[in-house]
Amino acid sequence: MKKIVIQPVSRIEGHAKITIQLDDAGNVQDTWVQVIELRGFEKFCIGKPVEELPRIVTSICGVCPWSHHLASSKACDAVFGVQPPPTGKKLRELCNSIAYTEEHILHFYFLAGADFVMGPDADYSVRNVIGIAQKHPDIGKKVIRCRWLGAEMLDIVSGKAIHPVTSVPGGFSKPLRKEEVEKLKPMANEVLEFAKFSIDFAKKNLFPQYLDAVKSIGVINTGFLGTVKDDGALDLYDGKLRMMTPDGKYEDFTYEQYTDYIAEHIEPWSYLKFPYMKKAGGFSMDLSSPKGIYRTNTLARINVCDYIPTPLAQAELEEFRKNFGRPCQLTLLYNWARLIELLYNAEKIVQLLDDPEITSLDIRVPVKPREARGIGCVEAPRGTLIHDYETDANGIVKNVNLIVGTTHNNAPINMSVKKSAKELIKNGKYDQGMLNRLEMAIRAYDPCLSCATHKLDGTLPVKVEIVDKNFNKIDTLINY
Amino acid sequence: MAVRVAEEWFAICAGCEITILDIGEKLLDLLPKLEFVHMPVIMDHKLFGQTGEKDKIEIPEADVGIITGGIRNEENKEVAKEMRAKCKTLIALGSCACFGGIPALANQFPVQDLYEKVYRGSKTTDPAENPNKEIPPLTDRVYALDEVVKVDVYIPGCPTQPELVADALTSLLEGKPFALPERSVCDDCPTQRQKKADISLRRPLENVTDISKDVKESRCFMELGFLCLGPVTKSGCGGSEKTPRCIKGFMPCRGCFGPIRKGANPLVEMINALSSIGLNPNEIIDRPATIQRYIGAHNRLRPLPKKP
Amino acid sequence: MSENQFEPFIIAFCCNWCSYAAADLAGVSRFQYPPNMRLIRVMCSGMVHPNLIIDALTRGADGVIVCGCHPGDCHYLSGNLVAKKREEGIYLMLDDLGIERERFRLEWISAAEGIKFSQTMKEFVEQIRKVGPSPYRTF
Ligand code: SF4
Ligand code: SF4
Ligand code: SF4
Ligand code: FES
Repeated sequence: MKKIVIQPVSRIEGHAKITIQLDDAGNVQDTWVQVIELRGFEKFCIGKPVEELPRIVTSICGVCPWSHHLASSKACDAVFGVQPPPTGKKLRELCNSIAYTEEHILHFYFLAGADFVMGPDADYSVRNVIGIAQKHPDIGKKVIRCRWLGAEMLDIVSGKAIHPVTSVPGGFSKPLRKEEVEKLKPMANEVLEFAKFSIDFAKKNLFPQYLDAVKSIGVINTGFLGTVKDDGALDLYDGKLRMMTPDGKYEDFTYEQYTDYIAEHIEPWSYLKFPYMKKAGGFSMDLSSPKGIYRTNTLARINVCDYIPTPLAQAELEEFRKNFGRPCQLTLLYNWARLIELLYNAEKIVQLLDDPEITSLDIRVPVKPREARGIGCVEAPRGTLIHDYETDANGIVKNVNLIVGTTHNNAPINMSVKKSAKELIKNGKYDQGMLNRLEMAIRAYDPCLSCATHKLDGTLPVKVEIVDKNFNKIDTLINY
Repeated sequence: MAVRVAEEWFAICAGCEITILDIGEKLLDLLPKLEFVHMPVIMDHKLFGQTGEKDKIEIPEADVGIITGGIRNEENKEVAKEMRAKCKTLIALGSCACFGGIPALANQFPVQDLYEKVYRGSKTTDPAENPNKEIPPLTDRVYALDEVVKVDVYIPGCPTQPELVADALTSLLEGKPFALPERSVCDDCPTQRQKKADISLRRPLENVTDISKDVKESRCFMELGFLCLGPVTKSGCGGSEKTPRCIKGFMPCRGCFGPIRKGANPLVEMINALSSIGLNPNEIIDRPATIQRYIGAHNRLRPLPKKP
Repeated sequence: MSENQFEPFIIAFCCNWCSYAAADLAGVSRFQYPPNMRLIRVMCSGMVHPNLIIDALTRGADGVIVCGCHPGDCHYLSGNLVAKKREEGIYLMLDDLGIERERFRLEWISAAEGIKFSQTMKEFVEQIRKVGPSPYRTF
């Protein structure tokens, strides 16, 4: 019996590696995507004053620190039993939307999108943002500028763009001044124009060429999890959770009920846990009869929502649904869904800046420590993010439970690897090409992982180790 | 000739890498002068050749090496040593690499406690044994980079300030040394100080000051009773604009840029500073980890004996 | 004395005008005190900044004792009161660093108290012997 170990130099909230086990005939018996890193936030947040947590948990992820920051301050709101004043909430949403545009632009152009822009067959050396800058210098410049605009806007609104500090229990700490709004408006419009351009460009020039690939690569049927408002509108900051089963039926539940709907399974070979739908009655990653598996992220959100509350994005959603139905299971379309969300957020920024209430000074209510439990959720770019805190009478943290966006996709990633490996390795035969295909399969399955597992050019450095059943190494394959 | 740059990341959040991207247009000026020979975050696949059969990490020779993140497992150590061997100048980028950063908060607990909480002490998790099948065990604690190899340049901050990265790279390109001045956050803080507090310490559970006015017109947050690590923290987060980032957001500093000089002891200095303006340091909750939130490596944070 | 018996390494900061003189007196009068002490003469107990004490204790010393003139006798009027005011802060620092409070002591010893000096030192060494080696000891 042989074992193949693939070790990507990459991160899913840490580093990961892939092990493939062959049976005696040389066919794939089993595969594991293993996360080999653990940082223990759930432990070291205990004993801290709960109001400090929004400033600590940001460091879980530097790509989506705002999501952690907001989920954490929402959990604090709940712990203290307060609701931020309307402007406090709007400032949080403003930052969330700006961060989203930054993040989606990063993804689309720097990571997964590079494949589409440069073509999947382009040489590795140009399949990155620098390649884009050379082939389409205007787009490259725009991308860098829009990223920078995002960072600059966040700086104006909050003072600190990465690992922010201004969303606090009870609201927001920094008011937005009228002069600042005037400075922000042209920037927001520039981002909106770029969002419109991106989706048109992609629909005209990119997606049509790859539709066949889209329909064949890494398609499996799963459920979906996302956040919607009471009337079913897409919302990334607040609402109720919606769990959709593969057949498109869904159930809505409040944040407080999440433990009734989501459970986490532990496998002995990974530091990362495997969340699953509790109501499915169990967890299985078996390809022929999976159990409890659901996905999160852009496609999931686009699938679970009934409509999008901004006009341009809503028009895009209608077109998307007409083409691909609801729920859409085509994994590669995460990218399309991402661009729809980019548009939604860009529109939302402009709306919020036009709102006269945004400059109000009533942004924060004072809070008093008490013994309580509070749950805060937001939609992080990678999926539903859940922060669950318990405090003692002094507001000191007693218990913390976190379910992080990427973690939801742990099981689907594992299944995708298994599926692809089974197709690619037959009778003990494997070669360099297999690596690239595996890499593509993972990426195809959930390109959103790019921010967790990918290098910035969207490729996955993969190391394969082939070992016998005693784990003695026989062979190593590397694609970097 | 272009300067050869190698970059590696360890147990981190990628915020520091994003900071490099956020240098913005200046980055486009810098790029042609840099040749990235190894940088998992942006590019390059041909490190091992297409049929690299090496098991060991190999990094090509470079003029400048950049490492983000602290050391959390043995593999990190190996990579750090390899980087040191191959790079003429080694930069520790971000507070994780410089002082352990937020992940080093874990140093308050024995590693076993982390496993216990994560795998058996969480309400959504079906309890199970620690994962142990073919995954590398964690090191006993989080180490800063310079506990393992010699570091030439420190660029602290969580994350650091994009301008500093650009400045550091520019100085290195010109062959000049780069070091941040030994100034404190207070030195660049625009608030008004009177050298004494008229109120005792309180938690930031409300607006720290009158937010209708510009922050320049506010009294020093600490003198208003809110713990602020400005006095013991290195300045630089505000970039050319100077005003420290958190202060701009009407929030007190939490020390993400680390100590003002090498060998300083912020814990001791902070307790002195508080006493000197009449505040009682005994009132700070979780004092060691609050004052040393970003600097827990170097044995600064460790499991403490239980108080009777 | 058996080879692996723990011998505390102790630093004593003594003010020039009182306690250092007391140490002298103890020496001249042949009042013995343990060899574990390393005496450092300072002009006034108020000059011993907390950083010095913490540095000593985090770099290997098992105990630190600061000796000054009795209250009211300080040659710089209030140096010893400053030292007293810092005591509480030093204990907090020790707590935070995981160092037992017993490892630090502040004492008033006048130039005439040779016996008290030798007594105090003996006591302090015994106290440290009980607490054991410093968690920061590297030698
Ligand atoms: S220093 Fe901060 S931003 Fe940089 S990697 Fe560490 S946690 Fe992330
Ligand atoms: S203590 Fe804080 S608020 Fe006061 S001057 Fe220093 S940095 Fe500014
Ligand atoms: S004010 Fe302090 S905590 Fe905030 S960014 Fe600057 S150094 Fe970091
Ligand atoms: S001179 Fe002896 S304590 Fe001041």
